[in-house]
Amino acid sequence: MNALLEVRHATRRFAGLVAVNDVSFTLAPGEILGLIGPNGAGKTTLISLISGTLPPSQGEVFFQGEPITKVPAYRRARLGIGRTFQIMRPFPGLSVLDNVAVGALFGRGGGQPKLALAREQARACLDFVGLSRFVDQRADELGGPGRKRLELAKALAMQPKVLLCDEVMAGLNHVEIEEVIDVIRKVRDQGISVLVIEHVIKAIKSLSDRLLVLHHGEKIADGAPDDVLANATVIEAYLGRRRP
Amino acid sequence: MTPLRLALALAVVAVLAALPWFGSDLIIQFGINTLLLAVLAQGWNIIGGYTGYASFGNSVFYGLGSYGVAIAMVQWHLPFGVGLVFGVLLAVLFACTLGAAVLRLKGHYFAIATLALGQVMTAIVSNIPLAGQNIGLVLPPLNNDRLFYELSLGLLVLATLTIFWLTRSRFGFGLIAIRENEEGAAVMGVNTTLYKVLAFALSGLFSALAGGIHAYWITFLDPESAFDISLNVKMIIMAVFGGPGTILGPIVGAFSLSAISEFLSSEVTNLAGLFFGIVIVGAIVLMPRGLADIVRNVPKSGWRYFRQNIRAHRL
Repeated sequence: MNALLEVRHATRRFAGLVAVNDVSFTLAPGEILGLIGPNGAGKTTLISLISGTLPPSQGEVFFQGEPITKVPAYRRARLGIGRTFQIMRPFPGLSVLDNVAVGALFGRGGGQPKLALAREQARACLDFVGLSRFVDQRADELGGPGRKRLELAKALAMQPKVLLCDEVMAGLNHVEIEEVIDVIRKVRDQGISVLVIEHVIKAIKSLSDRLLVLHHGEKIADGAPDDVLANATVIEAYLGRRRP
Repeated sequence: MTPLRLALALAVVAVLAALPWFGSDLIIQFGINTLLLAVLAQGWNIIGGYTGYASFGNSVFYGLGSYGVAIAMVQWHLPFGVGLVFGVLLAVLFACTLGAAVLRLKGHYFAIATLALGQVMTAIVSNIPLAGQNIGLVLPPLNNDRLFYELSLGLLVLATLTIFWLTRSRFGFGLIAIRENEEGAAVMGVNTTLYKVLAFALSGLFSALAGGIHAYWITFLDPESAFDISLNVKMIIMAVFGGPGTILGPIVGAFSLSAISEFLSSEVTNLAGLFFGIVIVGAIVLMPRGLADIVRNVPKSGWRYFRQNIRAHRL
């Protein structure tokens, strides 16, 4: 199997709470995988296990066939795993351009050591996500939608092989969601695999090649979007049981 | 950097370098003290201003630098230069071993942990015969204040050039990213542990050199004064007053506060002790991001700038 990313039996406990329970899945090169589930299902925790900001309690993570479970977050970034944060983590005191330049300076393969060249790459990424008008602003002067795009641009500047998007569309209006979907499709067209957490079902259905559903930390469905959304267990998790 | 600014900077350095040939002995001595304080403020700027870790351990680096010179010269009869290198080695070794442990702590916890280091070092050094125990060491006197002045100035220039390089290098961007958001920096590929330790060591290098020069100049050294925590407080006040995380802010802070405190201690003696306390309170309430931030914002927003800061404190 030539999966780019593989998670095997990953479990993460926080004291008594099992946030992620024995979850396994794979991500193929150039695939867009949608990750959905009710609030508190463990979606963000799962992304943290992959990006390395949290160690798993049990289970393993493989990237390009190599185990990376013990590899620290910064080295996973250099291998080509980029992520965005649901609660955005811009570098508030830096300009929008320099926020993204950090991704280019470090990032995959150790990054671009020359600041001028890194800034050039950053400009291209900001252009790509539609933020080129704001390059010289401070990051904390951007509004919510701008910050979502900034998160994307920062991750893209790392030139990742896989992009983990944690709710990059939350709080956006319809037009903005369409634009972000467009950006993610273009990212995939460059050969980058994408894992997207999203609550807007309509958006994720049209975007994803495959859907994975988490509920109470467990994987309850994994397959083509139409099949998964018609699945009785998934409907029950989202809407509750139909009265007899 | 524009040619005009470069010329201006060179002119300032030239004037400062020429000062010992015109000024009185008193001015030269004041100059050495101020230049060394500015070096300490710049050293603190690297770990505190750029990396965002408010270190109270920099006076330990200063003390190790002092003792490096004193032990090498008094006990081993080696030249001053060798002593400086020895002191720097001690400080860097200390930064790497203890830094790896204490730099895991964040915010107040890091400050508190480093606060204890000075006390611990005083106790340890007071019991080492090689370091003269609690009596201290007396160095061979060298009556050449001009030399000490020029050495201190050269060190300040070196520290400032290093910080200038930080603002346009990958290493510096990594440090700033750590200050702004450490987890965000790590997932973007910044080796946060390594970078923090390197920043701590670089900060320690300059503090140790300042300590070494000061020890040879003063010719006397004891554990209490070498690891004095109030020196650390001073360097923080100066860096924060001038503008932490800026290239010139800590120098401006050190020069202006030294001048005012010197003036007060000679003119109105009983107010001088209060001075730094008033500066701390005033600076935190009115200008928490230093003079550099005032220069940037006050022309734009005027008095509103100070009112915003007061309001941000919810006083």
